[in-house]
Amino acid sequence: MNRLRLSLYVPGNTWVHRLDPVTKLIMAVVAVTLVFLLPGFGAAVALLAVSLGVLAAGGVLRRSVPVFAGVLVIALTFVVVQGLVYPGNQHPALTLGPITFYREGLLLGLRLTLRLFNILAATLVLILLTSPADLVESLVRRGVSPRFGYVLVSVLQIIPNMAAAAGTIMDAQRSRGMETEGSLWTRLRAFIPLMGPLVTSSLIATEERALALEVRGFSGNRKPTFLHEEVIPPYAWVIRALYLTALILAIAGRWMGWL
Amino acid sequence: MAVIEVENLRYRYPQQTEPALDGISFTVEPGEFIGIIGPNRAGKSTLCQALVGLVPHFYQGSIGGRVVVAGLDVHRHPVSEVCRRVGLVFQSPFTQMSGAKFTVYDEVAFGLEHQGVPRDEMIRRIDHVLHLLGLWEVRDRNPFALSGGQMQRLAVASVLALQPQVLVLDEPTSQLDPAGTSEVFTAVTDLCRQGMTVVMAEHKVERLAERADRILVLHRGKCIAYGPPREVFSREDLPGLGVAIPPVTEACRRLGWRLPDGTYPVTVEEAVKIGGAARGGNPG
Repeated sequence: MNRLRLSLYVPGNTWVHRLDPVTKLIMAVVAVTLVFLLPGFGAAVALLAVSLGVLAAGGVLRRSVPVFAGVLVIALTFVVVQGLVYPGNQHPALTLGPITFYREGLLLGLRLTLRLFNILAATLVLILLTSPADLVESLVRRGVSPRFGYVLVSVLQIIPNMAAAAGTIMDAQRSRGMETEGSLWTRLRAFIPLMGPLVTSSLIATEERALALEVRGFSGNRKPTFLHEEVIPPYAWVIRALYLTALILAIAGRWMGWL
Repeated sequence: MAVIEVENLRYRYPQQTEPALDGISFTVEPGEFIGIIGPNRAGKSTLCQALVGLVPHFYQGSIGGRVVVAGLDVHRHPVSEVCRRVGLVFQSPFTQMSGAKFTVYDEVAFGLEHQGVPRDEMIRRIDHVLHLLGLWEVRDRNPFALSGGQMQRLAVASVLALQPQVLVLDEPTSQLDPAGTSEVFTAVTDLCRQGMTVVMAEHKVERLAERADRILVLHRGKCIAYGPPREVFSREDLPGLGVAIPPVTEACRRLGWRLPDGTYPVTVEEAVKIGGAARGGNPG
């Protein structure tokens, strides 16, 4: 069945995949924080190199290219706009006919671009290389409410199922002669006979599912146990230590004024 | 000692004037297979849900009488407690999947995880129920990728993993094709043979007639008959009340083919035996 996929997770068996979700969460959070803590081009470039390295090790570098390309379009507007109108612009760098780009603005635009890419690369480690179900399970182990965890994970499966149901209803209405394609007005009119049955059936399904969860002891408030054991590979501790040390050094650096 | 004791059970849903269950009393012995039949809105689902405590705990409403299942007074204990002794399987296989698990194996684990069952015990139970219901081969598939019959057996497996003493099924085959229906009936009959007490509400009366030890007939919230299938289906008043009886019983009634004890046959085998004798005695 061709189902809508909500999760962008790319399954694999690299050392990045084998890292436990919490380590990857730490990596992403620390990298994003460092982006804002560390001034200067060198640091930003080094940070980006590290994140890209992790993505490459996970085998998803090619997969992230379209994302970077998409963001590059936005980033280019930063560079252009800042290069033209940044208040601190002083030294002309490039003149194209009546338009002059200034050095300060261009550099600022570049810095913003780097920052954007850094945030993107850091979060992609989490999005592309961490199974969402595993991530939620490790959070539930650490005290997040199982109900909240259930909502997060079930959405990944139930929304695609709802989309499939919407497709069935749409086909049913179409087979009875309803126009579903054409002008905006036709499409809007087709929306109501779709939403009615979809909302009704979803509400019924929700009640039935609530009952089914109930008889499986979901609301028992016992401390849950887990079928899968949490595997934290030894090198995960090394990685956690490295990232946290970098974070502490950066904070200390900003505090003491070294940076 | 009876494993289910229902005494003068009365229940009314919130904001309703008519009672859904009106003075129902019956007992079930361990290892029995009880079929609940009756027209739509007779109270079959409500009775099933009353056996695990969803009525009244989930729906509220006003309740009277007493329901004791596996030694537990259902009205005094929360559903999460009762469901360790009584399992309930619903109509739609689809909505019984938790949606939070991505393989059949993990789906069975869902209830066990929330009951806080230790991990090695969990694995032992999951392996057992998956083999029991013939799902071992599909254990790594996504639950939503299963056929209806497989999904319903998975629902049964998930409930059995909690090791209840009583299994209640509310029209478990109404959304299944004949093959899926047979899968579920065979699985449930096997469980019953192994000592599980089974209560099943079902419209497919001919299937119940073959397998159930006793049939409970509901009509407008009242229990109008409770006894062995032949005795119940031979009653003259059922068709007039809109209660379905097996086609074979209907045919024997019209033909006047009675068993020695005066009841009508409820299975094809019984009918053939009687009919053969009738034809032998009256050839041509």
